[in-house]
Amino acid sequence: MISEQHGEIEATVRAVLRDVLGLSDAQVEGFDPTTPLFGALPELDSMAVAGVLTELEDRLGIVIDDDDIDGDTLETFGSLTRFAVGKVSS
Amino acid sequence: MLRFGPQSREVVLAAMPPFEEANRLRAFFVTLLRALGDHGIGAALPDIPGQGESLRPTEDAALDDWRDAFAAAEEKLTREGARVHIAAMRGGTLYDGRANCQSRWHFAPVTGAALVRDMVRARQAAAKESGEAFDAKAIAGDGPPVELAGNLIARAMLTDLQGAVPYAGPGLRTLRLDTDAAPADRKIVARPLWRRAEPDNNPAMARELAADLADWVKQCAS
Repeated sequence: MISEQHGEIEATVRAVLRDVLGLSDAQVEGFDPTTPLFGALPELDSMAVAGVLTELEDRLGIVIDDDDIDGDTLETFGSLTRFAVGKVSS
Repeated sequence: MLRFGPQSREVVLAAMPPFEEANRLRAFFVTLLRALGDHGIGAALPDIPGQGESLRPTEDAALDDWRDAFAAAEEKLTREGARVHIAAMRGGTLYDGRANCQSRWHFAPVTGAALVRDMVRARQAAAKESGEAFDAKAIAGDGPPVELAGNLIARAMLTDLQGAVPYAGPGLRTLRLDTDAAPADRKIVARPLWRRAEPDNNPAMARELAADLADWVKQCAS
């Protein structure tokens, strides 16, 4: 069950990055846990970070406190997914 | 006030989303209004005070003025003999409620509190990048206008927005994206253009929404 939920959340994170950053399906399908995000994707600026967080809240039904976000949260696709999974199960 | 399409008796008066989302949705909304012309319906797009090409500075914008200005746009069209139907998107649904109309159509309505939260969050993300701090509570109380997501906004405006909710009443049709859990008359499968880091357009979605809006206008006109 836990891995099934993890897969769903990972798919949501992928879709949110695609939609907010305007990436192609092929590009986000290629993301793995080590894929760097912040600093590596030119599309991911401060406005986009805000969009990603708000869209994750809306789609996952979670509330993200801005104090929860630190420099590592958006470092890789894996770290962002782990953050989202942690929020959903808390 | 920009006009689109034929000089029809039924006219759609459009309420643009304010502030940052106006940049991301203007091309899309204009495409939608032009597409209404294919259904024989004309449209009008006013610039509310402090937005778009309005001469008033953004920091002097006030929610109450927006509501009055939008209602005045409706009165002008009605005096010219039009039967006015309202179409509002995102934050546009926060100031269309004072205007009279034959029918009302909302796409992806959002509360003022959510809009303010988005803009504060963007400001915080930008502050973090440059190594300074921005306290979300700093927008409350008296003081000079606050810069949020590239817009200088009066504190009174932010306070009014925090309490503003989309118009809800008879004669309203609401559409949302399928990723939005809130109730709607119809859900659309598409990506949220208002979240896109760079302004973009989606002509296919604009045509789909224009067809839905045209059907609603014709249904309410008969």
